Amino acid sequence: MARKWTRYPKRTFYAFVAPWALGFLLLTAAPMVYGFLVSLTNFDGSSPRYKWVGLNNYIELFGDPDMWAALARTLAFTVIVVPLTVGGSLGLAVIINRRLRAVGLWRTVFFLPSVVPVVAMAIMWKLVFNKDSGILNAILGVAGIPPVAWLIDPVVFYSLIIVMLWGLGGGMIIMLAALQGVPVELEEAARIDGAGRWAVFRHVTIPMISPILFFQIVTGVIVALQVFVQPLLLTNSAGISTVGGVPESTTLYMVQVYQEFFLSNRFGYGSAMLWVFFLIILGLTLILLRSSRSWVYYEVDTDAEREGAAR
Amino acid sequence: MTSTGTTTEERATPAAPTTRRLKDASRSKKRPVATIYILILLLCVFFVGPFVWLVLAALKTPAEWASLPIRILPEDAQWNNFVAAFTDMNFIGYAGNSLFLATTYSVLITLSSAAVGFGFARLRAPGKKALFLIVLATMMIPQILTLLPTYILFSRIGLVNTYWPWILWGLAASPYMVFLFRQFFSSLPKELEDAAIIDGAGWFRIFATIFLPLSRPVLITSFLLSFTWTWGDYIAPALLLDLDNTTLAVAITAFYQDPNGNTIPTVQAAAAVMYIIPVLLIFFFTQRYFVRSTVSSGVKG
Repeated sequence: MARKWTRYPKRTFYAFVAPWALGFLLLTAAPMVYGFLVSLTNFDGSSPRYKWVGLNNYIELFGDPDMWAALARTLAFTVIVVPLTVGGSLGLAVIINRRLRAVGLWRTVFFLPSVVPVVAMAIMWKLVFNKDSGILNAILGVAGIPPVAWLIDPVVFYSLIIVMLWGLGGGMIIMLAALQGVPVELEEAARIDGAGRWAVFRHVTIPMISPILFFQIVTGVIVALQVFVQPLLLTNSAGISTVGGVPESTTLYMVQVYQEFFLSNRFGYGSAMLWVFFLIILGLTLILLRSSRSWVYYEVDTDAEREGAAR
Repeated sequence: MTSTGTTTEERATPAAPTTRRLKDASRSKKRPVATIYILILLLCVFFVGPFVWLVLAALKTPAEWASLPIRILPEDAQWNNFVAAFTDMNFIGYAGNSLFLATTYSVLITLSSAAVGFGFARLRAPGKKALFLIVLATMMIPQILTLLPTYILFSRIGLVNTYWPWILWGLAASPYMVFLFRQFFSSLPKELEDAAIIDGAGWFRIFATIFLPLSRPVLITSFLLSFTWTWGDYIAPALLLDLDNTTLAVAITAFYQDPNGNTIPTVQAAAAVMYIIPVLLIFFFTQRYFVRSTVSSGVKG
């Protein structure tokens, strides 16, 4: 016995986490570094004769009106979609959290769309939004409203938002768990002190669930910023090769990136767009995390909790 | 009957039982008024309506679908739309591709994530804390940003139009599943492994024979989630696979065209119905696993 026995040999830990560590290096870090290298070239996806162009792609990007338009559209989309989904899922959770008949059924119905594959979702909503044969215009027609072109500029932007809202059931389940974690004594104490229903909700329930609200906002922003498949399939079902057919008002940032890649064959320029977008998402996330200190209420001492969790 | 169904399901959420009872008692006095039910009805129309309209479209003739004024119900249910969905393209072949990819990927990612989660939960070595922070941080890196560079890289080393990317992704563990497994393994008592260590068992044997069998609920959750995710994924197969060996998700958007190249909506609707049936079945029978994983994904922050 040359070595001293230890309960926790170091090598064992490294062996167990190696799949993740190698995967991270080879399948996440390496592609990102590679993407950065490609962004410094004028690579077109096929011809081997590409040149280094330094930061030219990035310089061009700053003067590209299409990029700015797509970015502005994406930010507007995010600013509309995130409050609607977070607020909507909280609203649904409040409804489901009441004593209702068949509450399990309603919860299943609300939750279900969030697990439907995006392709099926797009096919369904295209049928609903169809100008001549869609059920939506048929319902509006009963009320005397003339047919709306749901899948054409500029209305398609709002149609896309409706489609995004359809899948908010996952958020509802999270909010429901959060609501049920609020100690009832707190709400009752406030009621006894004379607070109304709304005041209790606003000043007791919301602060108590603010960490989860905050987390939902952060993930919601990250998800909304990179929406791509929904606008592609909602208006253009023939796939990535026809990404140019996406209407202008749903040409979000990632749609624009795919157009640079597969319509203009500008792999270098598209890679530069991806890196800039990564930095934008990172920056927004950090800003949100910073802002959380002023409005998110943590009941337990987070440092102590983290100690305990890390054990 | 409804109430018992509800209470068992609610146990899956982390509410203390006493809290729950108090809450119910305080509410029992004022039953919600009819407006709540009207609201719920409208919401149900919103959430279920598209499914119903899809099924109705799948049962119409193209003429009925295009007729003006609109026809809600088909005259005769056109079951041959489903036959056409099978024969207009190699539906079974593409479904087989989807099944193979989803199963392979899910088995691999579940086992690799279990091993990594076990390492972070039960073992010790310098750098463990920092590595786990990286795991948490990578949860925030969206796959869609790395997919395009991955596509360029894979096409240069000849991995495009093979199933290798899914095998590699499966072997590499997913940060989210690692997190689920780590939470589970951390909650188990230390005594579990003590006897085995005294008997001279190595950590890998302890993991495989003691901890892995205990983690059945997490294994199931991880498998179901990965399976439905891969079955439903569109962008990775659309980028990485050619049309002749792609998955069902891509195939049903690419085929079902008339000679002029226009999609036949009724046949495509029939194909979409068959495409989502497996997902719906999995969801209805295993809803609690979906609820649990959604809840833990939401409160990790």
